[in-house]
Amino acid sequence: MVKQLSVFVENEVGSLAKVTRVLRENNISIRAIASFDSPEFGILRLIVDKTGEAKRVLTENNFIVKLTDVLAIELVDKPGELDRVMWILADAKLEINYIYSFVLRGHKEPLMIINLDRMEEAEKVLLQNQINVTTKLMEE
Amino acid sequence: MIWAKEETFTRAEMEELQLARLKEQVTWAYEKVEAYRSKMEEAGLRPEHIQSLADLKKLPFTVKKDFRDHYPYGLFAVPVDDMVRIHASSGTTGKPTVVGYTKEDMENWTETVTRVAALGGATSHDIAQICFGYGMFTGALGLHYGLENMGAAVAPTSSGNTQKQIMYMKDFGTTLLVATPSYALHIGEVARQMGLDPQKDLKVKIGLFGGEGMTEPMRQEMYKLWGEDFKATQNYGMSELNGPGLSGECLALCGMHISEDHFIPEVINPETGEVLPPGEKGELVITCLTKKGLPMIRYRTRDITRLFYEPCKCGRTTCRMENLSGRSDDMLIIRGVNVFPSQIEEVLLRIPEIGPHYEIIVERINHLDTMSIKVELVDESLLESYGKLNDLAKRVRGNLKSVLGLDAEIKLVAPGTLKRFEGKAKRVTDLRKELGLNC
Repeated sequence: MVKQLSVFVENEVGSLAKVTRVLRENNISIRAIASFDSPEFGILRLIVDKTGEAKRVLTENNFIVKLTDVLAIELVDKPGELDRVMWILADAKLEINYIYSFVLRGHKEPLMIINLDRMEEAEKVLLQNQINVTTKLMEE
Repeated sequence: MIWAKEETFTRAEMEELQLARLKEQVTWAYEKVEAYRSKMEEAGLRPEHIQSLADLKKLPFTVKKDFRDHYPYGLFAVPVDDMVRIHASSGTTGKPTVVGYTKEDMENWTETVTRVAALGGATSHDIAQICFGYGMFTGALGLHYGLENMGAAVAPTSSGNTQKQIMYMKDFGTTLLVATPSYALHIGEVARQMGLDPQKDLKVKIGLFGGEGMTEPMRQEMYKLWGEDFKATQNYGMSELNGPGLSGECLALCGMHISEDHFIPEVINPETGEVLPPGEKGELVITCLTKKGLPMIRYRTRDITRLFYEPCKCGRTTCRMENLSGRSDDMLIIRGVNVFPSQIEEVLLRIPEIGPHYEIIVERINHLDTMSIKVELVDESLLESYGKLNDLAKRVRGNLKSVLGLDAEIKLVAPGTLKRFEGKAKRVTDLRKELGLNC
């Protein structure tokens, strides 16, 4: 499992920019980002290179931030790969809360980020099905 | 410590003194102030008609408008030359309310404020920091004189520049804080941001709060911030009635003791003017018994409270007024529901996931009153899912609905984004008022 930052953002112009500015000023690199349309306020989810530091600087800047566990799943870049993963989880009756993908991978394989209620169970079942669940993001 | 012997008078002793002073005061006002004389004549009254405390209710009320009509010195009973101090309250509408004090008035005012400080636990050993704005506002100088009279060391730091306030607080070893409750919470927050723990790094043990009401949940916030043993009391007054010193809470926290040898309280039905029995809720009316420069007879405070005459656990026998439910001026009428901002605050502060600051906006949309309330999210664990945040907003809305019968849209905002106040908090914006005709 890896750590994701969840940041409370208001639904208004510039609210995401305020977050990214703090990260830029502290030289923190974003690895993955997700935010969905919601009427009043939203949760911005981020995976960054320096998680602990990002939480600290965002909190200092009056953001409210929670660290949550997510699974980072390595996929082979070919059609049907995500479908295979989705069915492994579906067959194991594991409900996904949200899913998003990585920003930049260079030469590496694509990576999906998912959150579920039963994380450990999901991790186990994916590994049993030869799906690589990585924990190495933070050391990049 | 009980400061004055009058605070433990028997009812009979107190009433005897009150009646003697009332007769003298009514005669003084009648003889010296044209406005009082003409009002009494209109009511067919002369000073000799006041023979008992029960006759008080025959006298006409004095209202804020009287100050405006007689601006600036028309209600003064002495030439301005005999005054030693002039204050004014900022009039949001029309002219400010001007008040004057003779030398004797200053002594009486100082005496009653000293009692308030003693009620709140202050002693001559305290180092008191006054974070009220100095100037025409009576709060700062009132407490200043009272605490000095008690023998405390007074630092008039005034309001604003919060970081510097905290530096003084730490370096001076301040033990007593005078502020509005909202500013006291803000000071604590800023101290924490500066890396200080208010409970360990500062020595503040007493808070004398005024300028605005303090609700019970707000007092709980004070304990959280300043420590469980923090003595958080509030006191009450208004410039028309000297300023602070009219009443203050004792450490038993059973209402605010009124200095009855200087002020006679009554509670009336604000609609009919009828005097209500003790324990019933209505508008507070105050008659000043010792004010020579600016006599005040049956002054309508616009504040809603109840009066209790049972002796208090603290040993005092003076009448207590309940902490304010709100000014009748502040009452909002939303789709026919009467509500005080303090009631909304009570509901909001009982929800731990949101912070103690809030902002209320009332507007009229398609001829319907709508209320929206912004609150700061402080519980990060809700960031698990959008659903949890939405549930919180729903819960806040549901609590307001069930407690006050009020429907309000709830907007969660990030912590630290709502306005902080150094003086009286202004948390309600009523946009409906600005639409009305200006006549």
